[in-house]
Amino acid sequence: MGRGEGGLTLDATAPEAAAPARRRRRRFDLTTPALLAPPVSWLAVFFLAPVVYVALYSFNVLALPPQATGFSVSAWHALIHGGVYLSLFWKSVQMSLLVSALVVVVAYPLAYFLALSGTPRKYILLLLLIAPFLTSYLLRVLAWKVILGDHGVINTFLSWVGLRSAEHPLSFLLYSRFAVMLVLGYVWLPFVALPIFVTLESLDRKLLEAASDLYASRLQAFVRVTLPLSMSGVVAAFLFVFIPTVGEFVTPTLVGGTSGYMYGNQIHDLFNSGFPDWQIGATLSLFLLGVVAALTLVFIRFLRVGEARAA
Amino acid sequence: MDVEREPFDRKLSRKEMLRLAGFAAGVTVVAGPAAACGAAAKHASTTTAKETGQLRVLDWAGYCNDMPHHATYTEYLRKYPENKPQYTFMTNESDALGKIRGGLKVDLFRPYVGWVEYFATSGLVEPWTTSLISNFKQLNPFMIKAGQYQGKQYGIPDDWGFDAVLYRSDKVKPTAESWGLIFDERYAGKIAWFDDLEMITIAGMHLGATDPWNQTSAEQDKSRSFLISKKHLARTFWSSETDLWQSFGSGDIWIAYAWPNDWVQMKAKGLPVVYMHPSVGKEKPIAWVGMFMLLKETPRPKAAHAYVDAWSAKKSAVWLENNYGYGHANTEARPTSSDLLNALQLTNPHAVGLPNAYLDRNIDQRATYARLWEEVKAA
Repeated sequence: MGRGEGGLTLDATAPEAAAPARRRRRRFDLTTPALLAPPVSWLAVFFLAPVVYVALYSFNVLALPPQATGFSVSAWHALIHGGVYLSLFWKSVQMSLLVSALVVVVAYPLAYFLALSGTPRKYILLLLLIAPFLTSYLLRVLAWKVILGDHGVINTFLSWVGLRSAEHPLSFLLYSRFAVMLVLGYVWLPFVALPIFVTLESLDRKLLEAASDLYASRLQAFVRVTLPLSMSGVVAAFLFVFIPTVGEFVTPTLVGGTSGYMYGNQIHDLFNSGFPDWQIGATLSLFLLGVVAALTLVFIRFLRVGEARAA
Repeated sequence: MDVEREPFDRKLSRKEMLRLAGFAAGVTVVAGPAAACGAAAKHASTTTAKETGQLRVLDWAGYCNDMPHHATYTEYLRKYPENKPQYTFMTNESDALGKIRGGLKVDLFRPYVGWVEYFATSGLVEPWTTSLISNFKQLNPFMIKAGQYQGKQYGIPDDWGFDAVLYRSDKVKPTAESWGLIFDERYAGKIAWFDDLEMITIAGMHLGATDPWNQTSAEQDKSRSFLISKKHLARTFWSSETDLWQSFGSGDIWIAYAWPNDWVQMKAKGLPVVYMHPSVGKEKPIAWVGMFMLLKETPRPKAAHAYVDAWSAKKSAVWLENNYGYGHANTEARPTSSDLLNALQLTNPHAVGLPNAYLDRNIDQRATYARLWEEVKAA
């Protein structure tokens, strides 16, 4: 007999007898709501409410005084028909996609080696991989300025070996899209390696043995077993990079110059500099949020289909 | 046999989840205004009471206002030893505007002369009582006038300087004393522009707009297109002086839209630099004057006046000139460096006006200028 059975019932001959589950004493259990209330409240107060506020600004229901309030879609019209903002958004998406893909390609072999090589020092190596996180983000980014500048480490070296004159350094290294993508890749590499490492380490090795028993080459085993089963980690890693970098503004501010200016910088500037335009700033923010959410859903959907096929 | 599920396993129905979310949102909606009402009541009680609490100053970062060696700071603390100012930093006037509109409570802040009219008409500030500022009579009358709106003294002038062109004399050979140097194709990738809508004004001036601060739609389009066509020459847009010093000092930049302090800093690094005042045609530097403004119904007006009085003192003025290379509205102050004296024309009471420079002024279409500048950056 279950713990809930045998309690008080109003009428033992009622139809509940045929359905024991419904006969259980209804207990008002507060445990689950109590456990869920803090995170749900947190989300409501610090995520949903701000998003609603931003939405109200984007439709001019709220406005920064002295601008008069009144429902308006003019900012959305400016976003869609203005051309400037959408092209900047597309530029940021391209940069972010490229960084995410390249970082995943670089991180995968690292994670593969750490997880499957059987080296006893894998956790020490993993620690080394994430060691840069022990220093501040700003410091890591600024260090690249020393490396990439016209008189930085790389240009000085090129000049020293005679490949480039000191008067004509490689100026694209700093204050450029290249610099932004390089630094973003560097910053996010450990984040990418970790989820892939976790997925690969939890891989059932017997599957690889079975593939070997069935005369699969190492490449075939990788392509048909390891890679499909690690795709959840790969997609998670990709999203780990793509979502934050598409709205990034700190790194482009520090090393991007005029050509590395991204969509996140535009949002930041609309709220903070020149002359505040919270309506367009809010609209751009919401658009970014919507696109990122939609892309995430697409990726998750893709992941589920992939997992089903692998199963 | 039915086994009761553990409470942790029980799934919340959609209805229950919505109820929880609704409850949380309700708490937000009710608690927010209640807290705001409480704050308003508290504010009302403090304005009628004796001045209490720390003086709150919203100022530009980088002035080291709260350093013990800062002359203004010590001068102010002489009168209010128990009331050390509490500083919040602004990156520019619109940042200050956003912060104040967003609910930041400060007693005074320091926009520049081009914003006096905007803030005076915004309802956010109130005029100063100049009789409470003993050093007011030593301030430059031209700058005092620039701080007035409809005859009331909304701004107390403090530091001043120019927007002009800084360049490395060993690398750059200008063909003319012109703003055109920051658009010079010969130095592509070695130029830094200022990240501000003032660039629209500069472009308009360079292109011969009738009134660069009030350009017609056609002139605005021309300025915008011109800046977009020249954007590839600029390597960075600087918004923080320290960024400019880093990139200029390291040799990444040779030409920059700059302020006098940048020239002082680069000279201190031993770089051969020239601070050029454009003078071709109608081109001139743009002069700016810092203006302390008093927030409306501040609970500490006396402390705010005392703070501005300390800033206006000759001792503070000399300290600022010597350490920052900016001019000061106090006409009796003189820096120890004769180079600076000459470069800023500190003995000239009309240094910030014609024929030497254009004093920065209100931009009626500021929002449009800002949008154009954002479009230039995004293009």
